[in-house]
Amino acid sequence: MAEDLDTRLDAIYDAVLAYEAGRAAELVRQETARGTGCQQILTDALIAAMDEVGDQFAEGRLFVPEMLMAAKAMKAGLEVLRPLLSATDAKPIGTIVIGTVHKDLHDIGKNLVGMMMEGGGLKVIDLGVDVPPDRFLAAAQEHRPDVIGLSALLTTTMPNMRKTVDMLRGVGYNGRIMVGGAPVNAAFAEAIGADGFAPDAPGAVKLARKFIGAADA
Amino acid sequence: MRARAVALLDRHGVAVNHPQAVERLRAAGCRVDAGDKRVRIPAELTTEAVAAAPRSITLCGKDPRHDLRLPRADGTFWMRTGTGAHGFIEPHTSAYRKLVLDDVRTIATLADTLSEVGFIAHPFVNGVPEVTADVHGLGTLLAYSTKHNWIQPYGTENIAYLLRLAALTAGGEAALRARPIVSCIVCSFTPLEFKTMDVEALIQCARLGVPIHACSLPTAGGTAPVTMPGTVLMAVAEILAMVVLAHVLGPGTPVIATPLIFCLDMRSGRSLQSSVEALAGASMAVQVMKRGFGLPTHTYGAGSDTPDIDGQSQAERALIAFLVGLAGADVLGGVGQLECATVFSPVQAVIDNELGAMARNYLRTAAIDDESLAWDDLLKLDPGGNFLATEHTLRHCRTGFAPAAFTRQARDAYEAAGRRDLAAQARDMLDGILRAHPARPVVDAATEAEMRRVIAGADAKIAG
Repeated sequence: MAEDLDTRLDAIYDAVLAYEAGRAAELVRQETARGTGCQQILTDALIAAMDEVGDQFAEGRLFVPEMLMAAKAMKAGLEVLRPLLSATDAKPIGTIVIGTVHKDLHDIGKNLVGMMMEGGGLKVIDLGVDVPPDRFLAAAQEHRPDVIGLSALLTTTMPNMRKTVDMLRGVGYNGRIMVGGAPVNAAFAEAIGADGFAPDAPGAVKLARKFIGAADA
Repeated sequence: MRARAVALLDRHGVAVNHPQAVERLRAAGCRVDAGDKRVRIPAELTTEAVAAAPRSITLCGKDPRHDLRLPRADGTFWMRTGTGAHGFIEPHTSAYRKLVLDDVRTIATLADTLSEVGFIAHPFVNGVPEVTADVHGLGTLLAYSTKHNWIQPYGTENIAYLLRLAALTAGGEAALRARPIVSCIVCSFTPLEFKTMDVEALIQCARLGVPIHACSLPTAGGTAPVTMPGTVLMAVAEILAMVVLAHVLGPGTPVIATPLIFCLDMRSGRSLQSSVEALAGASMAVQVMKRGFGLPTHTYGAGSDTPDIDGQSQAERALIAFLVGLAGADVLGGVGQLECATVFSPVQAVIDNELGAMARNYLRTAAIDDESLAWDDLLKLDPGGNFLATEHTLRHCRTGFAPAAFTRQARDAYEAAGRRDLAAQARDMLDGILRAHPARPVVDAATEAEMRRVIAGADAKIAG
């Protein structure tokens, strides 16, 4: 039966890579009905598929909209698993709070990062756009995330990243902070006291997993 | 495209985050649902606003010799420096660093001397309070350049300070209204929305007769359709919405249609200003606004997606200048900008000036008459003759474009000179310009002191 299980998990993996959300969800549903462990479905099919998506993107073989559709398919499968994961006390590999910083209303990149983070096995708390530093702080205190991710598109709102980092550090938040967005780079991240920068969504997932100490980081 | 843009405003409308403006638009005939910020603009109002919009606009220099008439009399264009850059490329080391206030003085001084640059924009200045960086940047530009300046506000509260600086420099609000030495960018928040700050900027500029650059910055595949006609439609509709806003909120306000078209790189997710698609979109949008609606137009006519002054940069910006120039753009923006629009290089600005001059010479339509045909000389031509020593050649030998930065050396001279490339030549020209024109205030000491007080006031009020 082991071979059959592998084949079935491969089918879920393939559904994600074919951007077929409905099929991914249905196959996950069938697999849970057979009694396969949720954690195994998550790790060996859904997260494995998103790892492949990240690799293909890094190699320039997959384009952003394709990555987004794969992430949506992965999420459809994850939604089936979510209540079962809660019931079995299975935990996400970590928690990340994300948001676009104060006075910046751009969310396309941040949303993509959020979906890819979920695809990477993290619990994502998305604070939305135009998030002032004190809302990041409140979320840090409420959710105790492993990582906080700050996004900005405008050069004029980049300073609000520094303000947010300063406020979080000022109250002793000791998790990791990462930044991203079109005008941001590694030097800027270092200059404002963030722990890291990623140039794209799969890179952000790799960095977050590295911070958390997850496998394959 | 024209009909669809008007129909999009009528059927879909735009969201306007400014309750007073929404009320005035409603009073002008727009459909607004109760408690909603979505404004549907009837086709008749759009048509009326376009018809009422000025067809020609003068952007005044502080020195009247630098006044810019749009459209330009010879049918070509003016250039403007890049705006919003927060990085600076050191001319001699090519090292990247943050742009600071002293660099604004360099940009002002340099741009004042560049023949093709009609007006100057302020970059993002580091080393001052971030929330008032626009006030510091504009204050320096106004004090150190004699040409027209472009305002780009960073916050709603900042607008009044920026305009106060402009009025101080002009000699008061009445003088500013008589001779607008500044114009201001007003942006849509694509897709089809307007932020409070931009509507407020439009209202305050209209009060002072300051021309606006109605700017739409759609990103194909991100904030706008991935197919370029769809993105252009978005830009055209948003610009038309600003023409309507200006017509309703400040009738007679000069509006320059300013589509700045970007593409989301589908492979990396980065925003591009110089992709083939972005260039095609910019050309298309300019043609629709200029030839379709008869408005003066402004778009990127320089710039590159590469971070450095390399071969790609020169190829991309040459393509941009020629394409949007041919499309009929009245203003070509982006002089000196690199890495989309985030970095300024003064060396690149010198090269852009030359590229712009080349494009303008190319775009000028040649007269076809006996003199240009050299008809008399042709009739007198002897077998084996030539044209080098004719009176006709003497009359015209200086009318061809003579580049200053581009090389025309033969190999021996090129090798003897150490294989100096375009950037090296431009660097020398830059050094010469800055040596000959050290940065000096162009306003009197009393005005400069008053400007400093305004800037300090902005810092105290806004930066706290």
